[in-house]
Parts: sequence; C-alpha cells; structure tokens
Amino acid sequence: MSAVSAHTSVRPPSQPPPLLRVSGLRAGFGANAVLHGVGFDVEPGSITAVLGLNGAGKSVTLKVIAGLVPAWSGQVRLDGEDVTPLSPERRVGAGMGHVPQGRQVFPQLTVEENLRLGAYLLRRADRARYDRVVAGLYERFPRLAERRRQLGGTLSGGEQAMLAVARALVNEPKLLLVDEPTAGLAPAIVEELAELLTDVNRDGLTILLVEQHIAFALAVADRAEVLQHGRVVASAPVDELDRDNLASLLGIGRLMSASLDPDHGVGR
Amino acid sequence: MLSALVSGLVVGGIYGLLALGIVLVYKGARVLNFAEAELGTFALYLAWWGVDQRGWPWLVAALFALVAVGLVSLAFERLVIARMVDASRLSVAVATLGLMLLLLAIEFKVWGSGPKFLAAPFGGNAVSLAGVFVTPVQVFAVLAAAAIGLGLTTFLRRTDFGLGVLAAAQDATAIRLMGVPFAKVSAFTWVAAGVLGGVAALLIEPSIGAFAPGFTLPLFVPALAAALIGGLENLSGAFLGGIAVGLIDQLVRWQFVSSTVPGVQALVIFGLILVVLLLRPGGLLPAPRGRHA
Amino acid sequence: MTPPTSLRLPLPRGKAGALLVLAAFAILPPLLGRLGVLTDFRAVMLGFGACYAAMALSLNVLMGYAGQISLGHAALIGAGAYASGILTGRAGLPMLAGVVVAALVGAAAAFLVGLPALRLRGLYLAITTIGFAVAMEQAVFRLPWVSGGSAGVSLPRPAAGAFVFTRNPDYLALVLVFVLGFWLLDGNITRSKLGRAFQGLRENEQVAQAYGVDVSRYKLLAFVISGALAGVSGALYGHLLLFVESRNFSFLFSLTLVTFVVVGGLGSRVGVVVAAALFGIVPRMLTVFEGWDLVIGSALLVFTMARHPTGFAGALREAREKKAAEHARAVQGGGPAAEGAVPAFTHAAGARLAAADAGSAGREVVLAVRDVRVRFGGLVAVDGAGLEVPKGRIVGLIGPNGAGKTTLFNAISGFVAAESGSVSLRGRELAGLPPHERALLGLGRTFQTAGLARGLSLLDNVMLAQHRLLGYATAPALLRTGGVARAERDLEARSREVVAALGMTAHADLPLKHLSGGQQRIAELACALVTDPEVLLLDEPSAGMAPAAVEQLAERLRELRDDLGRTVLLIEHHIPLVMDVCDEVVVLNLGQVLAAGGPDEVVRDQAVLDAYLGAGFAAKTKAAEVAP
Repeated sequence: MSAVSAHTSVRPPSQPPPLLRVSGLRAGFGANAVLHGVGFDVEPGSITAVLGLNGAGKSVTLKVIAGLVPAWSGQVRLDGEDVTPLSPERRVGAGMGHVPQGRQVFPQLTVEENLRLGAYLLRRADRARYDRVVAGLYERFPRLAERRRQLGGTLSGGEQAMLAVARALVNEPKLLLVDEPTAGLAPAIVEELAELLTDVNRDGLTILLVEQHIAFALAVADRAEVLQHGRVVASAPVDELDRDNLASLLGIGRLMSASLDPDHGVGR
Repeated sequence: MLSALVSGLVVGGIYGLLALGIVLVYKGARVLNFAEAELGTFALYLAWWGVDQRGWPWLVAALFALVAVGLVSLAFERLVIARMVDASRLSVAVATLGLMLLLLAIEFKVWGSGPKFLAAPFGGNAVSLAGVFVTPVQVFAVLAAAAIGLGLTTFLRRTDFGLGVLAAAQDATAIRLMGVPFAKVSAFTWVAAGVLGGVAALLIEPSIGAFAPGFTLPLFVPALAAALIGGLENLSGAFLGGIAVGLIDQLVRWQFVSSTVPGVQALVIFGLILVVLLLRPGGLLPAPRGRHA
Repeated sequence: MTPPTSLRLPLPRGKAGALLVLAAFAILPPLLGRLGVLTDFRAVMLGFGACYAAMALSLNVLMGYAGQISLGHAALIGAGAYASGILTGRAGLPMLAGVVVAALVGAAAAFLVGLPALRLRGLYLAITTIGFAVAMEQAVFRLPWVSGGSAGVSLPRPAAGAFVFTRNPDYLALVLVFVLGFWLLDGNITRSKLGRAFQGLRENEQVAQAYGVDVSRYKLLAFVISGALAGVSGALYGHLLLFVESRNFSFLFSLTLVTFVVVGGLGSRVGVVVAAALFGIVPRMLTVFEGWDLVIGSALLVFTMARHPTGFAGALREAREKKAAEHARAVQGGGPAAEGAVPAFTHAAGARLAAADAGSAGREVVLAVRDVRVRFGGLVAVDGAGLEVPKGRIVGLIGPNGAGKTTLFNAISGFVAAESGSVSLRGRELAGLPPHERALLGLGRTFQTAGLARGLSLLDNVMLAQHRLLGYATAPALLRTGGVARAERDLEARSREVVAALGMTAHADLPLKHLSGGQQRIAELACALVTDPEVLLLDEPSAGMAPAAVEQLAERLRELRDDLGRTVLLIEHHIPLVMDVCDEVVVLNLGQVLAAGGPDEVVRDQAVLDAYLGAGFAAKTKAAEVAP
C-alpha cells in the first residue's frame, strides 16, 4: 500500500478540484506539536474517513480544519478558497457544517431552538428559505418533528445524533465535518447512524469523518486517511486498503482479521 | 409588617436586577463578576455629574450614565476578558475585582469620599397603599425593575441573538460551529450586566438618599444569595430569588429591630446560602419542565 | 520539593541561614530604630508589609497549595485579632497567650468553614466563604460581648519583663521573627507528605485518592493550618494597630488579600510575600500622590491579570519551565522512536512479591468481583458482572465501546457506588469503603485519561504515589523532626531511581504536562506500581502507543507477572496485546459478562465477534465482499 498523500499526485485538468484540500498542517498545544505536516484531499460527493489511534491527531486535525485550533503552518482550502485565516464562524459561512464530538446538542434548548441556532446565518440571509429547509428536515427526520418542543438534553443518544446532524444540515453546508459520531452510542444506534450518513451523502453532501470505530468508518466511507503520530501514513480508497497493514496500525490485529475471515477463524 | 413587605419588594427588585447581571455573566463566562455592583455606583456618580454639574434632566443623565457604564464594560470585555479565555476562572474573578477597585479608586479621586445626593427623578408625596406609605419613586423602581427583568429574559428567549447568548452559556464552542459570532455574544453579556448594575443603583438610590464610593457593596452579597437561590444558571430564577431575598432581608430587620445581635440579617442570609448550597445546589426553584432561560 | 525552576533567589539556606536571618530580624530593626534611621513611621509601614506577608502566607497554604478558594480570609484573621485583644487587652494576659489562643480560634473558625468545603467546590465554596466573611464582619464582630460595648477591641503592645515593645521598630522585629517562623513552617509543609497531599488534592482529587490520600481529612487540615496561621497574623496585626474594629476585617479586605495572593502567584511563597509586602508598603509611601496610587494600582492589577493570569511568580515560573522543557526534550533525544518507548522500569519501581507457585493446586484469588450492578439514573451501566483475578496472573477485560469496562473499574476501586454485588480483595469485602481506603488496602489503578497530577512535577507524582508508605504524623511533619527529614530523603532517593529507570531524569522536576501523552501514560504506570499494590487495575495502558511501544509494554507487563509476581487486571482494546500477555480474558458487553476463559477461545467466540462489530456490520462490511 502506498503511503502517498493524494495531493502530491498530478490531477488531470478535467477533474474538478477537491472540495477540501488540507496541506502541510502543523499544530499543537503549548510547546507540544501534535500534527507534523498533515495533508490530504476530500473529493466532492465522497465520504472520507480519518482513522488512527487515540493521540494520533485525528480530532486535532478536524479542529484545525474547523478553525478552533490555530494551525502553526499549512493551509486549508475549501472549494478553492483559502479559509486558513478565517474564524470558525466565518468558515461556517463559507460552507462548513459541523457535527461536533459528543454531539454537543444544547441541552436546555428545544429541538426547534437547536435548529434555529444552526441556521443562525441562514435566517438572517433568507428567512423563507430557512422555513423551507427546516420543513424539509422535519420531513426527513420525523422523530425530530415529533419532539420539536422537547429539550435537547432529554433526547436519547440516537435522537441527539440525529439532531446534531440536522442542525448542521440546516445551514446547507458544502462539507460536513463529523467528529467521532459513534462515541457513547449503542451498536443498534450506530447502525442507524451509518444509514443516516450514507443517506445524506447520497443527496450529494460531502462528508469528512473522524472515527475510532473502525468497522463503522469502513462501512460508511469511500476513502480512508490513516494518521499516526500526527502524520498521514496511509491514504487510499477503502476498497483498496491493505487490511493487515491497517489492522496493525490500529492495533486491533487479530480480532479484525478474525471477523473479516468468513470462517471466523483466527490467524492467517 | 406590611411596610416591611413593601420595602422588601423594592429592595428585592434591585437585588433581582443585580442577580440577573451576576447570573448572565456566570452563564456566559463561568465567572463571578465582582465589579457588578460597583459599576452601579459609578453610574450614579456619572448621573449625578450630569444633573448637578451640567443641569441635565434626570432621564438624560441616567441614559448618559448607562451608556458610559456599558462602554466601560465593553472595554473591559474586549481588553481583559477576551484575552483570558484560557485563564483560570479565579484569575478572571480577580480581574473583575481589579475593575471594582479601579472604579472605587476613580470615584474617590475624582469626587472624594463625601456623600452626594442625586435628586429623585420625580417628586410627589407618599401615597397610602393598603395602609402602607409608598413614594411614587418606589413604585417606579419596582415596576421598572420588573419591566427590565422581563424585557431582558424575553429578548433572550425570543430573538436569535438572545438564543445564541443562552446557548453560549451551555456550550461556547458549539455556537461558533453554528456560525454565531461568539465575540459579539460575549460582549453583549458583559455590557448587559454592567447596564443592569447601573439601573439597579439608579433605582435604589432615591430610597436610600445619599451615596458615596462603595455605595452598592452591601447589595452585592444578598444579590449573590439571590442568584444562588434561583440556581446560578437560571435567569428568571435569579430575579425571583432577588425578590425573595429582599423580602427576607426587610422582614428580618423589622423583626429584630432592637435585637442584641447587630447585623442579624447578614447571619440569616449566610444561613440561607449554606442551606441552599448544601441541600439544593441547583437552586430552590423546582426543576423546570419547560426550558430554563 | 524545591523545583529547579523555582526562583533561585540568593536567600540564605539551611539551619545556618535561618539563624542568620533570625538574628538579622531580631537585631537590625531595633538597632536602626535607636540610630534614628528607622523612624516610627517607616517601621509601621514595614510592619504593615510584614503583617500582610504573614496573612498572605496563611492564605497561600489554603488557596495556593490545597486549591481551596477562600474569599473570607479576613474573618479568620479578625477572629485571631479579636481573640488576642480580649485576652490581652481585657483580661491582661501576656501576648504569647493571646497569640496561642488566636491560633486556636482561627483554626476552629477555619474548621467550621472547611466542613462545607467537603461537599462544595469552586464557585460554591467561594460563595460560602463570602457569606461567612460578611456574617462575621456585620454580626459576630459587633456582638457586644465580643467588642465589649465599645466599637472595637484594644490590643496593647506586648511586654517582656519590664521592657515593652512600644516603639514600632522593636515591635517590627517581633513581627518579622514570626514571619520567619511562618516561612520555615511553610517550607516544612511543602517538603513533606502534607504539601504533596495538598497539591494532589488541588490538582486531581481522584488520583490523590487512588494513592491513598484521605481527601476529606487533608482538606480540613489545610483549612485548620491556614486558619491557625491567619489567627496569629491577625493578632500580630492587631497589636500593631493597637485597636481594631469590624471595619478592619471587611469583605473588601478579604478580596484584597486574594488579589495579593493571585497577583503574586498562587502557590509561590516568594511571590505572595513580595506582593503582600508591596501592597502594604507602597501605598503608604506614595501618599504624596493622594489617591492616584489606588487608581494606578488597580489599573495595573487588571492588566496584570489579563497578561499574566498566573501572577508574577507564575509567569516567571512558566518562562523558566518552557526553557527547561525544551532542554529536556533535546536531552531525551526527540523523535517518535525515543518518545513513547517503554523502558525497563519495573524492577526499580516495584518490589518483588513471592510469585504464585507455578502449577499450584489451588488458585488463590486476589480480587473477586461478584454480581456487581451499577446504575446511573435510569441507565444500567454494569448489569451483574463478575470476575476473578488469581494471584500472579494477568486478566484482560475487553469489550466494545460503552460496554461498561471503566465503570466496572470505578465500582471496584470505589469511585462509583455499586447498587449491589460484592468486591473483595483477598477475602476482605470492600463495599462501602471510600477509594482512598481501598488504595490503602492494596488496590492500585491507572485511569483512562492519564490519572496524574499534571501540574506537579514527575518526581512529585512518584513521591505522592508513595503517600501511604510514609508513616509520620502531621505535627512531626510541621516541625520537620529528624525522622521526617530522613524519611523524606529516602523517599526522594528511591523516587529518583524510578524516574531514572523510566529514562526521564531530564523531566524529573518539570510539571508532567510537558511530557508527551505517551510518556505520561508510562509514568502513570510506574506511579501505580510504586504504590506496592496487591492488585493493579490498568485502564487501557496501550492507548495511543505505536506498535513498537506496545511490544515493549507487553514485555513490561510480563515482567510484572513473572519477575515481580504481581497480579494485574487490565482493560484493553489492543487485542494482540491481550492475546500476548493475558492468562485469562473476560468479555464485557452492555454491562454483562459475555464470555470468560483463555484468550484463544474467547476471541473466536461468535457472540464476542458480533458484539464488537454489530451483527449487521459483519454482513455489510465491504471486506466481506472481497474474496479471501
């Protein structure tokens, strides 16, 4: 498997530019560098998963892309525009949508109010369109429609995940950044979440996903970027991934290979 | 006793406004704003300057004072609070302490320590209401406090920006990821708190008469108790807590007017604080079924 | 515990140094006074500075070391002043008696304030102390029997035989001697288990408990010591002023004390003393500025907080630490290979226990967990789980995310209450025991999110971890008797050995936060081992480690079992590590034990596979479509 970062390859002129291009990111906290030059592309319409062990820098990468953590060097380009100097709020305006780690649904606001906040910018720009978008979301997520006036904190884990995604969608983003969505969710809900994300992507929304739950990530994504110690060590379409290498990079070795072997035997 | 109840309502409204300011800043920045009350005294001095030295009508002077205090709070928020995002909350609290001391120092330096008198906005004789004498100013104070309290909480619940302020208190990072301008929300929080302090002082001063530097300090602790009773996160609770503390304060004073224990209402308030914190740190109000602004 | 990054001021050190300073304080002021150099006015100014310094030192013990917020310290100081005044002014007793009683009264009042502190934290505690301060100022100090009918209380200058300390320079000498005493006492605290326990409870209460620190007891102790010192400083202050009233111990004064301590630098005795002394002396010197001093001073305060939230001493310390940390990283040989390596530290850190006899007939069970149920509100996190850890074996606890593994650990170690079931260590039932007592009985553990006191140095953490091994009591610690000094020296030597074995000597005296995440985890492992536990509970020790480091970790774990005869229960996600190292494996899913047995059989169990991947996924996974 080649450890080549996509952005160093030559693009044929007819191919549209990547929706997100991240290059040479260096970032950290205090004196500790966590990212040592992370770079990859996210193609429009794809679901790209960033994988890696705890501490590899996955979440930090997403936070740098979001603008919450400043990059010491490097660039983030969204749809051709250099968003590196922009604040998180302005990046949202530029088309980034976020489903933060832990969902971060506002617990003391109702579902409706959560959605209103997600559309803060849209409501000021075009109130009518907001009404239409929200109506559309309620159609798509009937469970949220039923619980319109319920406080965010009283929703179940799965419903909160749904709300977090809807809240990000309400602003009609170009790119959805999803940070470890399965954390703390029961397996059945995780399946629902996978369907939700695949659905949303089918309508054309590009997704960048950071995840620790390997099977989930591989089931949902078309492309994987693997981080280790703040660097991209593997980058390939999910179908072409070398399982053994991936498994050893991620430390779930034998269990993973055991499950993927149709006879469920151990050892290769 | 009725007169104690009435003055309790007046004082309570003031405590309520101060408590609102305390809770607003606590929700927004997770810090206790020690300058809250003193910003009020500062507003009083500015209003006095307008009326006494410039001959402005009370309303104009009051508005001037409130705008000035708002600007001071804004400057403080931009120059100090925004720079201390990662600092410990204790350090930020000390910074607000510094602001309080600075305001005190300026008051002493510019206007001296002697008492000043700010004429009430309108005179009028005391009216008898259910057997108790109330001055028009006192009535105005209660109504104004209630109106402002209500207005603020409505603004926060109904408008998008207000919603952003409430949400920022629950999760500041998440609102940035929604595109809500955190810087503006933070600025609003502190400016509103400062203005509330100013309004509180302007409304209570006629009932007390003269004022000097540190005039509002004795109001700070009861306002804190009020905020606690409402449950530091609950704005409407803070206001109601203020009324409750005001009533308790005046009733205790009335009851123990010739007691052997001076300052007994301070003891009672302390006891109240302890009881609330140990038994129901979330505040005395029942947990809301609907939302809590 | 004098970190090399502490301000290396040219202060006299050691016993000789203390005697020198004592002589200087006792002789110079009266001498200069008689020579006319030190006027009464100047002496009183310095007296204020010295008294404030004493007050700041007392507050620093509580807020700086133990991290307990006290916004009502003036009330404790006032209590001491009033107590001394009543005894000396009214009852005519000598000042020494006044000081002793002041200490006792201050300690008692602080104890009362400390009781709510056991339940309250941070802001709530702060508000309680505010309420206490105001109540004292407005009610208690004005009680007729306290103030004796007049507005306040008089405190005459002390006498030694016929000599009375009327002249300010003479009294100043007395105050300075007391301040020296405070300083030395403070040093004894920080260099003993008291200081480390205080700092532990400030940094991370959970971890302190896991090391056997009785957090409640030490919190109260911090209040009591701080209160006693406050009381004495109040007496000194009162006798300086000759007359005090409730106004002298106002809430505002409490707040100004807090500003000295925070601006000087919480936790730095040099910083707080300097700040307090300056606040005491400078305004009085600048009376010529008539009011501007206050304006400038408070403006400076505000901007200092904005730029240096940790205070002056804090800012200085951070700057020095940054340099030292860079140096340490260079010495360590940076780069991912060296970083995150797991050197052989086990022999230095842990004593060898008699290993279980291989093939012995019975297996002695060290830790037995039966039918434990843990509920959070409506959610059942652990549902009747049980397991056994035999002596000298390594048992692995695995399961998908959210299975309840860490909750089970928390129930075993006492951080979370189990609704039902039993946990026994060597037959001894642990139910109802608080975490620190379980630690004292021999339960050691690490935490999923690096359970270390990050603000303390690596060495301090290792020393704190051995808290339960230090047998000396509080009073000897305060006085630093020979036994205490010896015990501390030995402890430090042993701890430095462990740090050296870890290969982290360059980082020994730097706050832990300067170590990388991986290094912190290894340090945490060493700290858990050094507590000499009967059983070690390790929560995801390999989290975030590169494959090469995990191999070394496996070696260390094997050493623990084979060389040191230790018993280990570990939570892990890294299956190959579990297969390599564990003698038995228990699988937890949705709070229940799904399977238990040898590693090979468990990993092959269909139910286990389904649990990890979700039955749906095994079918949907794209890999399943790929022919092997």
